[in-house]
Amino acid sequence: MSGEFLVELDGVQKTFRLHHFFKVDEDTQRRRLYRKQRVHAAQAVSFAVRPGEIFGLLGPNGAGKTTTVKMISGLVRPDRGEVRVDGLSVERQRKQVLRRLGVVLEGTRTTIWPLTPLENLAYYGNLKNVTGRVLKRRAHELLDFIGLKDKKNVQVRLLSRGQKQKLAICIALIADPKVLLLDEPTTGLDVQSSRAIKDKIIEMTRDLGKSVVVTTHDMHVAQELCDRIGIIDKGRLVACKKTSELLELFSDRTFIFRVDRLPSLDPVRDLPGVMEASNELSADGPMLIVRLDAGMEARSAALYGVVGLLREEGVLLRGIDQRQQNLETVFLQLTSSTI
Amino acid sequence: MFGFFLVMKAEIVRSWIIMRRYWFRTITGLFIGYGMLVVLVLGFMASSDQVEQAMSRNFEDAAAATNFVLGFIIGMFAFGVVGMFTQGLQGMARTGILEQLCMSPHGLITNFLARSIVSATMTIASSAFMVYMVSLTFGETLHFYPGEVLLLLTLTFINLLGFGFMMGGLVLVFKQVGQVAVLIRMALFGLAIYANEDILHQGAVVRSLMHALPITDAAICLKHVLIKDHLLSDGTVLPLLQHPSFFYLVLSCIVWTSIGVACFRYMENWSRARGTLGAY
Ligand SMILES: Nc1ncnc2c1ncn2[C@@H]1O[C@H](COP(=O)(O)OP(=O)(O)OP(=O)(O)O)[C@@H](O)[C@H]1O
Ligand SMILES: [Mg+2]
Repeated sequence: MSGEFLVELDGVQKTFRLHHFFKVDEDTQRRRLYRKQRVHAAQAVSFAVRPGEIFGLLGPNGAGKTTTVKMISGLVRPDRGEVRVDGLSVERQRKQVLRRLGVVLEGTRTTIWPLTPLENLAYYGNLKNVTGRVLKRRAHELLDFIGLKDKKNVQVRLLSRGQKQKLAICIALIADPKVLLLDEPTTGLDVQSSRAIKDKIIEMTRDLGKSVVVTTHDMHVAQELCDRIGIIDKGRLVACKKTSELLELFSDRTFIFRVDRLPSLDPVRDLPGVMEASNELSADGPMLIVRLDAGMEARSAALYGVVGLLREEGVLLRGIDQRQQNLETVFLQLTSSTI
Repeated sequence: MFGFFLVMKAEIVRSWIIMRRYWFRTITGLFIGYGMLVVLVLGFMASSDQVEQAMSRNFEDAAAATNFVLGFIIGMFAFGVVGMFTQGLQGMARTGILEQLCMSPHGLITNFLARSIVSATMTIASSAFMVYMVSLTFGETLHFYPGEVLLLLTLTFINLLGFGFMMGGLVLVFKQVGQVAVLIRMALFGLAIYANEDILHQGAVVRSLMHALPITDAAICLKHVLIKDHLLSDGTVLPLLQHPSFFYLVLSCIVWTSIGVACFRYMENWSRARGTLGAY
């Protein structure tokens, strides 16, 4: 079991307790001397990441993404459940686990600004037990790889935000960790930098067989970057699937028939396997939109049925499309259905 | 152990680069420190209405002035070391460096220890330089016994370190402690300036309280060696190792270090449970 996955979360739970003194209660509008509030940042979260896989944690603000990442890196202790990295318990074998982890946390100033990227890497390398020639070679390799070749000897304070972020990723990689945790790696970056970082992450995972856990609330990043995606909302993992499956979950059930005039809907709705049918007039002509049953047999029957009906009616069929849904819609449907 | 030296090396390199890169700030820092001390000493002497005499270099109160300066420096040192663990830790939590140190496989305590040793050594070096300059300026030389002074400085540092670890542990979990810590640091500062043997002749309660604080005996010992040249106020010679304050200093080191490290370990775990390592 432990050989198969590099990161495993098993029924992990974390509740933060907040203590308020002299705060106004939202419900009663009365000032209370003391009130305890619980925030469920993770509730029975379980997932596992294989070597060479990029796992995305997607969720709205305050969903518990950062908390989950911090629990994997041992910065936050879970109340219940177990986190294992490379088969080792984060709680009981923390030091060994830390040798296998590289972490970039969101919005933190990891880099030391008066030092150059090379000096930063030397510093953090020593902190992570990397020394001498290995350190030097790896530092140069990493900076070349991520595209900071000509900035090696420029003080970090003079670098742009994207360059600092790239350096932070290099710092996380300096000890050649098996697992890389990235919390919002592309937030606040322009399209180009974020694309570059995305490409580098993919390249690295594929080439070096590392596991990457990346959190984001950007659907496009998740869609392009991740092999599998866990959607987290209010501390609960509401879905955990391959990116393509997650998209399929909703997309392949809706079909668009491009026609030359709007057909009558009632016979279509009466067909077995058709859940919903509607007409629409779009910019490129009339369309019949049909949502079908999830089952393969029923779907096939329904598709033949719709085509047959259109032919009987003498409607000209210009084409059939499958509606492409992006993660955004899937995400909205998943998170809103659990409220 | 290897990890400790590795972290220390990294810290030394970092401090050295920053010092060199901001050499102007380093040098002006030293001069400002020196200037501040001179002004302080002059002010101290002015309070005895004898500025002119002071400038004419044969001022009999020079010993008292040096005493004051030395106390001031020890106080600054105590202020700084404890501050590293309170305000410094808060700052590191805010910028996220603390989380990075936590994720170093050497452990937070090792990292912190190495960090504070490096910065304390630098403080001691620059303070020594300033005390030397000031005592030159005012014509009063200190009695410098390298072995004893080194021993005392190390003990003083260990003593403060234990106390600092305890305060730091508290700050990790209860961020409000940081505010109280400023007051405590001020108290230590004042104590270092005014600590002398008289304190040890007070009533039992005051006396045990004074011994319990991590700077009293250290300051008394340092002054005993550096200024009084091992002479007691009645003129008899008392070697450092026989001074009661030295005994209490060693005891205090052992007690504070054990309390400090235990407290820090416990609080670090608690802080992880509350998720306050990376939040202010
Ligand atoms: N140390 C803490 N003490 C108390 N509550 C906390 C603490 N850390 C996080 N929380 C709460 O836990 C919840 C989850 O926070 P978390 O930072 O994991 O969210 P997130 O998914 O990373 O959000 P974002 O997209 O904004 O980064 C939030 O409601 C937050 O207020
Ligand atoms: Mg977050």
